[in-house]
Amino acid sequence: MSNVLLQVINLSKNYKDKNYWFNRKCVAALEPLSFDIMAHKTLAIVGETGSGKSTLAKLLVGAELPTTGHIRLNGQTLAPGDFKQRCQYIRMIFQDSGTTLNPSLTIEQLLDEPLRLNTDLDETERHQLIRDTLKKVGLLAEHMSFYPHMFSGGQKQRISLARAIILKPQVIILDEALASLDPSLRSQIINLLLDLQQQMGLAFILISHNLGIVRHFSDDMMVLCQGKVLEFGKTTDILQKPQHKYTKKLIMSQRFQLLHR
Amino acid sequence: MNLIDIRNLSIELQTSTQPILAVDRVNLTMKEGEVRGLVGESGSGKSLLAQAIVGVLDEKWKVDADRFHWRGNDLMRLTPEERKAIISKDVAMIFQEPMACLDPTTTIGEQLEEAVDVEQLTGFFWQKRQQRKLAAINLLHKVGIKQHEMCVKSFPHQLTDALCQRVMIAMALARRPMLLIADEPTAAMESTNQGQIFRLLASLNQLKNMSILLISHDLENVTHWTNAITVMYSGQFVEAGTTEQIFNQPYHPYTRALVDSSPKANRMIPNKSRLMTLPGSIPILQHLPIGCRLGPRCPRAQQKCVHAPKIKNFHGHQVSCHFPLKDSYS
Repeated sequence: MSNVLLQVINLSKNYKDKNYWFNRKCVAALEPLSFDIMAHKTLAIVGETGSGKSTLAKLLVGAELPTTGHIRLNGQTLAPGDFKQRCQYIRMIFQDSGTTLNPSLTIEQLLDEPLRLNTDLDETERHQLIRDTLKKVGLLAEHMSFYPHMFSGGQKQRISLARAIILKPQVIILDEALASLDPSLRSQIINLLLDLQQQMGLAFILISHNLGIVRHFSDDMMVLCQGKVLEFGKTTDILQKPQHKYTKKLIMSQRFQLLHR
Repeated sequence: MNLIDIRNLSIELQTSTQPILAVDRVNLTMKEGEVRGLVGESGSGKSLLAQAIVGVLDEKWKVDADRFHWRGNDLMRLTPEERKAIISKDVAMIFQEPMACLDPTTTIGEQLEEAVDVEQLTGFFWQKRQQRKLAAINLLHKVGIKQHEMCVKSFPHQLTDALCQRVMIAMALARRPMLLIADEPTAAMESTNQGQIFRLLASLNQLKNMSILLISHDLENVTHWTNAITVMYSGQFVEAGTTEQIFNQPYHPYTRALVDSSPKANRMIPNKSRLMTLPGSIPILQHLPIGCRLGPRCPRAQQKCVHAPKIKNFHGHQVSCHFPLKDSYS
């Protein structure tokens, strides 16, 4: 069995309300939680808005500093300010691929940026790597000189995926990355993600509220509600025998749609 | 009697070079009290079709139809004014992203009072103000908002998405329409809120016998709520039939792919297996393929497919394909 890739211990986040000088109010966005992810595995995080899903994602990529706890990658603790290492190994894909790509850069410049900042490859090597990565996500090498607006929604999502995998990361966080796609493109992207997981041994953290995708895609599953972990375990177990009332409600709200069919 | 009966509706975009056929000969019929789903991916022209029914397309778009009947009246023969009178009385529309559609600078109460139909108010002019307020509150009660005092005083940004959508539905109900066109009413909404809105629409359909045209890009989201479904692809008619027919025995390869591609619909498939997809992506309007527009992506395409297929009817299950999947089910 493969060893633990990412280990999260007692991670929590409080936001302080700065309006009050005395009597400071504290909002607990995320209560302490711990989990492990192996390579080749997918962890799904499910919950409503305001349940702390995105806070967790931000903590993992280092966009926010955690209040308590720490994150270990391959047994090595990630320092809060050390972005060099984090950028290499933990990458993130956002929901709206159209707005996360810089419209004034070509695809080559877009993909060149993380390479220049994080690696010491020379220009020809970078060029070759970009070419290979585009091929890997199902695009052509000619697409390098295109601008983001020349692509359709599904292709844009492929480009953000290329940007995520170009540094050979070990963990990819998908923050609702599949929600805004059309059904036929969505299944294409799911197939692509599964292939990449097979090839590169990636671990995915999937944040989604479509339980159908979660069921198909993930091995483990975590249900969050207002910053608390309600359930954590194997996806099939939770979806078949939900223990908590909130989970049951969440499953019911999606499953009834196809009850008779 | 059919509520709405559209035969061979085409919508053309007039550009400087050459006109683009955005919607190509689409049929749509709705009976009274029916909930019909209109399903298609982005760029399939489903919103255009809805806008053509309501008549809000501007001069750039040229609408043409062999038959465009609303309860027996031929809308194509009427003057724009007559047409507007009929449509604004009987048809209402709600949009996606309700928060963006409401006026952010006025309170919900004022916006609702504006929507109240003047002809339904009886009494002298000094009573009308009070009646208007009451009517607005009644509308809120109809869509299941109980704390009406809070709601009428608040601005759109203070309410949640689902509440805003309820307010939109309340406004749509003000003229007591016979047909409600819901253009992706639950896009970008939480699943629990989606359920609320769909349940509200279903109860309106049953209690008030209001017909609903439910537009969605996701087949699996609407199947529970609809009696019949029309599927469109890239501006062309694909398939129409009852929900059972479409979902259990789709005749068109595109519908088949839509049903197979959703991981929820076919639960038999093992975890992490590959999903069935169509290769390629949706064609853009400037480069539409000739004939059947699914042609380049279709697994069953043959030489014949460069000509647009005629619509075949199998016991009310209409399909527009040269090689329907009908024989594969028996």
